[in-house]
Amino acid sequence: MIEKEVTLQRLKDAVSDPGTKQIELVYIETRTALSRFAENVIHQNIEQADHRVMARVSLGDRVGLAVGNNIEPEPIKATIENATEIAENQDPDPDFPGFVKSTTGADVVGAYFDTTAEFSAVSRAMAIKSAADACKKERLSAAGLYKTETKASAVVNSRGTTQFFAETLAEFSLTASDDSTSASGWAIAYNRDVNKLDLLRLVRTAVGKGVLSRNPETYPAGEYTVILEPAAVGQLLLFLGFLGFSGKSFAGSRGFMAGKIGEKITGSEITITEDPFTGEMAGMPFDYEGVPKKRVVLIENGIARAVVFDRRYAKKAGTESTGHALPPDNAYGPYPKNMTLQPGSVPFENLVSSTEEGILITHFWYLNFLNPRRVQVTGTTRDSTFLIKNGKIDRPIKNMRATPAILEAFTKVEGIAKERVLYPQYTSVMFVPGMKLAGFPLSEDTDEG
Amino acid sequence: MTDAKIDEIGHAAVDLSLLSGVTYADCRVVHVTEEDVRVRDGAAEALSRSESLGMGLRVLVNGAWGFASTAEVTLEAAATLRERAIEIARASGRLAGERVELAPVEPARGTYRTKIEKDPFDIPLKEKLQYITHLDSLLREVPDLNRTSAGMSFRREIRHFYSSEGSRIHQEIFQSGAGITAGLGRGHGESAERSFPTSGGQYEAVGYELIEKLKLEDAIEQLTEEAKALLTAQPCPAKTTTVILSGDMVSLQVHESIGHPLELDRVYGSERNFSGTSFATPDQLGKLKYAADIVTVYSDPTAEGGLGSFGYDDEGVPAARSPLIEKGVLVGYLTSRETAARIGTTSNGSMRARSWAYLPLIRMTNTMLQPGTKTLEQMIAETDEGIYIQTPSSWSIDDRRENFQLGGEIGWLIKNGKLTEMVKNPTYSGNTVGFWNSCDAIGTPEEYRIWGTPSCGKGQPGQTIATGQGAAPARFANVKIGR
Repeated sequence: MIEKEVTLQRLKDAVSDPGTKQIELVYIETRTALSRFAENVIHQNIEQADHRVMARVSLGDRVGLAVGNNIEPEPIKATIENATEIAENQDPDPDFPGFVKSTTGADVVGAYFDTTAEFSAVSRAMAIKSAADACKKERLSAAGLYKTETKASAVVNSRGTTQFFAETLAEFSLTASDDSTSASGWAIAYNRDVNKLDLLRLVRTAVGKGVLSRNPETYPAGEYTVILEPAAVGQLLLFLGFLGFSGKSFAGSRGFMAGKIGEKITGSEITITEDPFTGEMAGMPFDYEGVPKKRVVLIENGIARAVVFDRRYAKKAGTESTGHALPPDNAYGPYPKNMTLQPGSVPFENLVSSTEEGILITHFWYLNFLNPRRVQVTGTTRDSTFLIKNGKIDRPIKNMRATPAILEAFTKVEGIAKERVLYPQYTSVMFVPGMKLAGFPLSEDTDEG
Repeated sequence: MTDAKIDEIGHAAVDLSLLSGVTYADCRVVHVTEEDVRVRDGAAEALSRSESLGMGLRVLVNGAWGFASTAEVTLEAAATLRERAIEIARASGRLAGERVELAPVEPARGTYRTKIEKDPFDIPLKEKLQYITHLDSLLREVPDLNRTSAGMSFRREIRHFYSSEGSRIHQEIFQSGAGITAGLGRGHGESAERSFPTSGGQYEAVGYELIEKLKLEDAIEQLTEEAKALLTAQPCPAKTTTVILSGDMVSLQVHESIGHPLELDRVYGSERNFSGTSFATPDQLGKLKYAADIVTVYSDPTAEGGLGSFGYDDEGVPAARSPLIEKGVLVGYLTSRETAARIGTTSNGSMRARSWAYLPLIRMTNTMLQPGTKTLEQMIAETDEGIYIQTPSSWSIDDRRENFQLGGEIGWLIKNGKLTEMVKNPTYSGNTVGFWNSCDAIGTPEEYRIWGTPSCGKGQPGQTIATGQGAAPARFANVKIGR
């Protein structure tokens, strides 16, 4: 479906004669095929295809943005005219850095797989049926998602920049549950190649947890040693991204990294790197301004090192873009979409077996800012929370509310697993291990009536 | 493209005459136009216009669903779309439960247009930008304010709906919104923000007249004073006490702990793997004492100005008011034709899609908490000890919609019937049923307003949709505050 040459030619033609203005076109084409299932039945089965053309036009330092979803030459021209009209009405923007000149990105191997692009609805249905059968054998009900996505991104501007990237991704998640015993087990798998999803392991994990989590008991509020599975770690990392790793929050002195570069802000076990090029991540090699992406060490052995920038916030900070601009139609500013947490040296299993008393958390639900100044979030545990005693799962406990101040929590690291997994969340993909933290705040979040 | 051409394409897409096994089809052709004008910290954050046109087709084949969408709106694309949707539905059939049955609906041939006084897309962009820049400069003139924002946005959806049962509906829906934020920070750890009319701004299904009505500039002085005072205010104490919520906080509470739990697709588990389920299961319909006797809640997509208002939902069901909670008892759900059939009723028109590209899901429309008889002033005067919390800033609720923690931008402790000292980061938590049963006062019709939530999220792929919540201030006894 992705017609690289035709697409690029149309975009290049549209910016070839800019006159007195400068033009940047960002093109994003997405085809999402997805089956959702619940109660052992596929209830939603879809294929949606769309493409967007985002045109930014600059008249000196006045800039306008318009978005359309038609890739034919005339509609692209109309979108550019719309952006021009907006630029004409705009006030000068002294922070506008201009469009990047003549960049091209490195080829990324392992981002596009025909196996994923051509994966059929029937193949999805067959895998889901196997997962549902495995759940039913244990008197559990299957719910989940099987998604494949094919995406093309291009950035072309009138200063000679031409970038194109094609990618695929596949994701399967499964909840194995039983309402009569409040049991719920969950697992997720992600890869660019649908054939590399380890569905056997995923089903075994979700069903195994479902079986173990029957009849959970209430557990009192307190500060506990917790073992976070990789998904839970990834969810916390995502909020660090929102609250501090962006050049926008850095420039506005709002984020926790502002004024702290070179200072210790977490335990020395923590090294977080924005690294689109790690292993099977195979991230996009340029950003939505066409700037090549750089690997950026954000926190190194607990010390705040750097944040990610797009061209605007790099200019404000007197530095260079790290290639982390998001599409121009959002206001988040730059964001690290491929964060990795440096692994430890012990197997995940050892984090559990070395715990005298603690709580094993599969993942969180509805994390939200609670007190941004403290980098504090609130959310509940979800889909299997277990009490660990003497190195083993003692019993399932009911979901609890977690209110960690993330940087403070990361000062109490008792261990990081050596295994890492790719974990997708929204449009980010992280590469994260499980970890053990002491003194993690949990409160009862159960039936108070 | 002319309406006649779109009609031709839509009708062709749902023509089942030569298709065996296909029992139902509906097609939506939707054209969305949006404008966003936003200034933050003195610089333009957004000044954009976007257009999106496409169509989505849903089919039932042997009792199983398939859906496909495309940005191409042509007769040829409709034919391809139909093949794709049917193929997908046949795949669904490999893992189908009972055949999907649809509750009956009279095929509709109608039109609907949001009542607006001023088409927001007729107002020149320059005028909008000038107003937002003016607001921002007023904010930035205030000494100490260094975190400011002002913005407005507009959405127009032209929706065409066709079904194999004979429906043909044309709708033109407008949504408008605006708001300002005044904030100040002193480097690390010290910052405060106040928003008006509420966090993220107020949104309604109206035209540009809303912007004039909001009079955002008049709020700047009070916002500024409150933001400055918050900087040095004490944190919210941790205890159990009486909580009085402002109308916009009640709106959030209604949205999170009444609207979402009563989406019947969620109740039946369709969101189990993502947004979660609901404690409010159908066996409790007509029995569950969800809330105190004074609490009556209904869904009303006909409410004038409500952000969740329309003429017909995305299954062609006419908008109508329907009860959810009557005098505290659970009496209804938000339904689709499929889920309504499962509980032996007809759909109350709650199926909505973000745009042509997405499959409709059960979504809130306007969820209206019926106003009561006590003014906010009376509620406070009657309270010996408690807290008044205003303007949502934080929200989190578990995956069964039972237990929540919500926070506001600002709070005032109440002592002996009077507001006393201001507190920052006020939060409260509770159990949905326990909390709503502790409601002992709801504000008057004069204090009632339909608050807008422009970006409620649900589903995979994620769909944000605009909902409204009718709410006045309300009071709740014995609530945990602080953290």
